[in-house]
Order: sequence, then structure tokens, then C-alpha cells
Amino acid sequence: MADARLVNLGKRFGKTDVVKALNLDIRDGEFIVLLGPSGCGKTTTMRIVAGLEETTSGQIWLNGRVVNDLEPKDRDIAMVFQNYGLYPNLTVYENIRFPLRMRKIPAGEHRRRVLAALEMVELTDFADRRPAQLSGGQRQRVALARAIVRTPAVCLMDEPLSNLDAKLRLSTRVQLKHLHHAHRSTTIYVTHDQTEAMTLADRVVVMNRGLIQQVATPRVIYGTPANAFVAGFIGSPAMNLIHGRIGQGVFEASGIRISGLAHAGAHEVILGFRAEDASVIEHHCGLSAPVYSMELLGDHSMITFRIGDAFVAVKAAKDHQAEIGEIVHIAVPAGACHLFHPITGDRISP
Amino acid sequence: MPLNFHRTPRAILFAAAAFMVVWLLIAGFPFVWTLWGSFKVEGDFFSYQGWIDAVAGRNTLAQTGHLVTLGAYRGVWIEEQFWKAALHTSIVTIAVVMVSLSFGSLGAYALARSGHRYAYWILVAALVFRAIPGIALISGYLLPFFRLNVWGYPPTAALVLVALNQPFTLWLLHSFFLTIPRDLDESALVDGCTRFQAFRLVIMPVMWPGVVTTGIFSFLTAYSDFVVCSMLLSDRNQTMVPRIVAFLGTTQETGRPMYAVAAVVSVTLPLFVLIPFFQKRIVNGLAGAVKG
Repeated sequence: MADARLVNLGKRFGKTDVVKALNLDIRDGEFIVLLGPSGCGKTTTMRIVAGLEETTSGQIWLNGRVVNDLEPKDRDIAMVFQNYGLYPNLTVYENIRFPLRMRKIPAGEHRRRVLAALEMVELTDFADRRPAQLSGGQRQRVALARAIVRTPAVCLMDEPLSNLDAKLRLSTRVQLKHLHHAHRSTTIYVTHDQTEAMTLADRVVVMNRGLIQQVATPRVIYGTPANAFVAGFIGSPAMNLIHGRIGQGVFEASGIRISGLAHAGAHEVILGFRAEDASVIEHHCGLSAPVYSMELLGDHSMITFRIGDAFVAVKAAKDHQAEIGEIVHIAVPAGACHLFHPITGDRISP
Repeated sequence: MPLNFHRTPRAILFAAAAFMVVWLLIAGFPFVWTLWGSFKVEGDFFSYQGWIDAVAGRNTLAQTGHLVTLGAYRGVWIEEQFWKAALHTSIVTIAVVMVSLSFGSLGAYALARSGHRYAYWILVAALVFRAIPGIALISGYLLPFFRLNVWGYPPTAALVLVALNQPFTLWLLHSFFLTIPRDLDESALVDGCTRFQAFRLVIMPVMWPGVVTTGIFSFLTAYSDFVVCSMLLSDRNQTMVPRIVAFLGTTQETGRPMYAVAAVVSVTLPLFVLIPFFQKRIVNGLAGAVKG
């Protein structure tokens, strides 16, 4: 177990900068999730930490030493791959034992440690099977056991759940969380799934186009997104973002008017609010629009409107009745609104 | 994938079966005919009277007192010492398979895992060399080999066969390596392997169906080679296939065609044993490996 530091990390493939001057401090035992759309550089960043990719610039510190020039085997890391990366010719037991064998750990300890790891992922009965005889979820747990059997300094996980079906993904996610709680190993986890990021992470690193957008706890990421990208990426549905103009505390765009905002300036702005902060009301109060679509999602329903070019989602009660095309009144409390710069997208403090 | 035969009309099934039988007869006939004829004397198998002699064996009966004779085999293997040719073929074949597989798998693995563009161009260059007919290169080899005093020895022929065959070996192994997910290499690297350990301990164990397949092709190239061996080996070190041609004689000297027939059967039969054996291993290997 150890801390990790990425200093000014850069990676260039041909003419594209995949990762740009990335700085990140990871504390001992922390569960860090790199989150972002595909092509944002999150996987590349992790592969650089693993040593599977070389840096173009910058330094990687693991456990207090620079590891840039070390082979992956000398970095004291473990990794769980998206496609599991299990050795098909070895049994589950031998798969998990492999890192112990390669790292010259005394043979007498192997059995105890492999069995402990197997128990931790609840696969004790499957020790003699081969990977081909396991389900996807079981294979991923074998990969997990292989990663933790050695107590590496840093454990890396590259979209480990993305090949599992929705149900299995949920249960494996819960196991993963429990495992980290028990094990407390420093973990870097890459995903494009924000639910995974929000549920697993101690801190989330939101990335886009090779740049870190925000590093914060899931609560902060959700509650006070640092810019419009984070706001529009996090949450299900993502935050509603509307381009408009603010002046004397009143936001105006086509078909919408929200007053009482604590902002003095007068300029173009992006206004954001979350679906659950708005509510459907009886009378016109700044925003009325025809229903674009209506979805029942179990414990609530989601009503979508079209305002200008933007889609706006509003959460309503599960028994709410509305027809498509019907004009509905919506209240957006000024206190729940976020303001972002119309060009840079940066958050404007109200 | 099992076919659902219940849905196939009987007429089509019958036609398919009939076609198979006819095809087998046509395809198998030359082999059966040669095998049958190899137990006759020259007067029967190369009879001036007609093919009926080869079937009935009139002359064989008259000359040996039996309907079948091992005379041709005895002549080839003992009198003509065909076993020496067999030995040379084994040396050349084993050397070719070993060398081309070991160098081929190292090279193909490197090319399959290389991120550089030149890997592609190396493969293309290999293909170009493969397209050049062997005989075109042999003439260039002759003089240097004479000068170096290595002409006429089995290892020399093996070396040239490896060189001619390596592009194909490289391509075949390369495509097999590409089917093995990179995750496997990277798992191994992270788990504490060096590049070479990853290759040896993780990749090769799942690669052997590809190695066996490629090995068979190398084996066949070397085993049935005529051009290279006949040009580069002295008479004393000749392999089996060029020897067969020698038995047929030339315009200057009378050959022993029955020896050639017996030799052809001797060369062909091991293939009928070996190939199905290896084929089974390939199929078994492919079923279990790589997936996962």
C-alpha cells in the first residue's frame, strides 16, 4: 500500500495530446476513479501508471520514488483488465498464484494466500476450474483475486465491470466496494460509467480531452460541479444546461425566466439545474413548456421539455399524469441554480 | 455447429452422399493405384499390353510365383539404400521445423506486438520475398556455397529451406499471435514477468495450436521439397524426393521405375499417418485455448 503522485504527466500519440500536463496526488488507501467519456485519456493515464505506456513528459511517483523508467514488474502494482486477462491454460488457483510465483514469494506461503484471496471473492469452490468454465462475473472476480493476492502498492482497474451484464455489474460493484473497505489498498479505477464512479470513489477525477476537469468527492462533484462539462456529464439525467442572459439577478432565455438569482453582473451565461431540484406546479412561474416525452422510472417519472435547443428534464411524482404536447408549468428555485461561463464553461460563483 | 439433418430433404442428402463417394473414388484412385502397383513387377504395372496386367498381375505371378511381391521395396530400401535418403530427409525436415518455428515465433510475436509502422513493412517485404520462386534464389546461392565449402550438406539445404519458408511461417504465426489478446501479455507484465517470460510462460502455452499448424506447413515444405534439395545436396546426401526422380532414369540411363513407385509409396505413407494425428491436436488445441 502506498501513495501515488502524477506530476505534469503528458502523453502524445502522433500529433494528438492524449493527456495534457496532468497533476494528481493519490493518498494511501484511497479509491480514485478516473471518469470521462471515451477518448478523454483516462485509460492512457492508468496505463502510464502501470508502465504499459511510456510518458511523453512528466513524472510518476509511487511510494515515494520516481518509477518512470521501471518495468511494470518492478513497479509493485497489480491490474484488473476489462477483458479479465486470465491465463486460459491455467486453473483459477494457478492464475491467482501466478504473481506470487513470478515475484519469488516463498512457495510455502502460496497456498494460504491464494486461498485467502479466493475466499475474499467467494470463489473457493472454483479453484480447480479453468477460466473458460466460469461466467463473466466469476472471471472478473478471479482477476480481482489475482490483483489483491500480493498486496500491491497500487491496484489498477481498467473498466473492470463493463463486460458484465447490468445485474451482475451491480452486485460486483457492491462486492468491489466491500473489498476495498476491507483491504484498503490504494486503487485507481477507470470507468466511463458515472454511477460506478459515484458509488465507488473516495474521490472522482473527471477528465475530458486529456485534461482534468475536477477532482473532488462524489458529493462535491455532484453538488458543485466545477464547470459545465462536469455538470453535463454527472448525474442521471445530467444537469439541465440552458444558454441565456443574466441581468440584475434575472435569467432569461427563450421561454424561460428565473428570477431571484444572487448574481450582480449582466452578461451571457449558462444556467444549470438538476431535474430533482425543479418541480411541476399548477400556475405559470417563469417556465412553461409543452411536454416532449414522459418516462415512468419506478419511484418517480421524468418529464422532458424542449426549451430552445436544449432538452430539460424535470423529476415528477410517479403518479404524475401528463400528455405529450400538454403545456406544463415548472418551478426552478433560484437557490438550486448553477451558473457557468458561456465560453469557458467555468463555474461562476453566484 | 451440428447441422439439422431432419430438415434436409432426402434427395439432397442422397445426392450429397453420392457426390462424396464419387469424389472420394476420383481423389483416392491415384494413391490406391500406386499402392497396388507397387507390389507388382515392372512388366505388369508398366505393361505394354494394357492396364489389365496391372490388375491381374500376370507377369508378377510368372516372375516371382506370387501375385504380390515386395521386390521393389527390397530393391529400393536395401539395394539402393533408400534409408539413407530417409535419414537425410529427417535431418533436413527436423532442422527446418525447429529453426523456422523458434525464429518464426520470436519474430512473429515481436511483429504482432510492435506498435511501430515498420512492423507492417517488414511483413510486406516478407511477402515479396515469398513471391519470388525458390529456383530464382538457388542459383545465387550455388557459387557462395561452393566457395565456402558448404555445398552438398543437409544443414545447408535446411538453412536455405528455412530462409525460403520463413516469410510464410512469419505471416502464419503473426496472425495467430494477433488472435491472442494483448491483455494476456499485459497481465503477465504486471504480474511480474519480463517481456520474454511473458512470451515463454503465458503466450506460448496458448499459442501451440498455431505453432503446430505452422509446424505442419514447414514440415511439408521441407519434406516434399525437390528444387532446393536436388540443387544443393550431393548425391551422397540426397533426400527422398530427388532420389525418386533419379530412379525414374534419364535419357542417358535406364531407370528402375518400379523402385520409383515403391519409393513414392514409402514417402507418401508417413504423411497419411502423421497429418491426421497433428490435425486432431490442432482441433483439440483450438477448442480449449485463447477464449477467456
